Amino acid sequence: MSFRPANKEACVRLTWSLAALAIAAQPAAAHHSFAMFDANKTLTLKGTVTQFSWTNPHVYLFVDVDGTTWGVELTSPGNLTKVGWTRNVVKPGDKVEVEVNPLRDGKHGGGFRQMTLANGQVLRARLFDLEGKAS
Amino acid sequence: MQDSATLAALALLLMAGPLAAQTRPNDAPKPAPTAKDWAAVAALPDWSGTWVPLMSDQSAQIQTNPTPWKPEIQKQVDFWNAEEEAGRPNGLLLNCLPHGMPSFMLITHNAIEVLPTPGRVTILGESDGNRIRRIWTDGRAMPDDPDPSFHGYSVGHWEGKILVVKTKAILPQVYIAVSEAVGIPNGGDMVIDERIHLLDPETLAFDLMITAPHVLTRPWQTRRIFHRRRQRSHEIVEGVCRQGDFFEAKDKWGNPIFVPATQENGNVLPPGK
Repeated sequence: MSFRPANKEACVRLTWSLAALAIAAQPAAAHHSFAMFDANKTLTLKGTVTQFSWTNPHVYLFVDVDGTTWGVELTSPGNLTKVGWTRNVVKPGDKVEVEVNPLRDGKHGGGFRQMTLANGQVLRARLFDLEGKAS
Repeated sequence: MQDSATLAALALLLMAGPLAAQTRPNDAPKPAPTAKDWAAVAALPDWSGTWVPLMSDQSAQIQTNPTPWKPEIQKQVDFWNAEEEAGRPNGLLLNCLPHGMPSFMLITHNAIEVLPTPGRVTILGESDGNRIRRIWTDGRAMPDDPDPSFHGYSVGHWEGKILVVKTKAILPQVYIAVSEAVGIPNGGDMVIDERIHLLDPETLAFDLMITAPHVLTRPWQTRRIFHRRRQRSHEIVEGVCRQGDFFEAKDKWGNPIFVPATQENGNVLPPGK
């Protein structure tokens, strides 16, 4: 599966796809159970945002941790908007700490739990945790 | 000349045959709604705003009021539950087809809107433009044999402040789902009776009676709850499910376009693979 990026855009796409591949022990494209993530384990990823994809049906956050790209899956843009997120809440280059439930198969992906920004702000997004608190 | 007239008449007859066959009974144009019709809508219970599903109650309902699966179907449910517990969830919605009924009401994680207009109530979901129910409240009878669809054919009427709905003609492949990973195709002949009403000014209840003779031992009575939000932050937004199947890219002129992501067994692979 060798792949040689030919230009900047290809590099971006490679980053995106490798991260998606890392997360893709199960089909990654659509809404689904989060059972592929181990709810009994928590990892904290300290790194730099490489991409924040504000796309349906799931938003993806890609974080470089010591040269390894991790893919982190969140809920939909619509649901995130309801709990105060925007598509500009983070951008490539931002330093973040992201708490995830890791993929059970050990690949570099996880289900989002919460994220701490460089300014100390903590963002949460799990709908069950926030249910009833948005009014 | 007479031959020409005969030929023309024959041609007309030939054309009229198929056209006549396509003429439907009872297809007279509906009169435009009147001010009185709109006033009647204004008198209905206020269900405006965005309705957010109470997801924790969706799960609780399944625990306290489980689906009455037939024994042989329960074995399939047990299998899919075990698969999910083992970290191998069955992605019922991965193909981006609609939830369909009744799963749209049973397990949605996204908000809905309920829009009354003269002769109709429309329910719009946030996930995709294909999460949509049209409930006809214009007094029509249930058609004899409507085309099967994901959400079925729904006819309703108001009993005071309760919208009473019957839905038939749901595709047999459509799941009765208890989660996004566990569901069983209804198998056909399903009928869903609903009573939709406010429990309090900000809580909307969907009381469903699901009759699915191929998979259930008896009609299943269950309730789903939605809470109202009126903030702009809660307004329904577009949610195109298949957007995640595409990469953002540029064409040879530099225009921003979507290109299909390469996938293998649902896994996204690098472009060009």
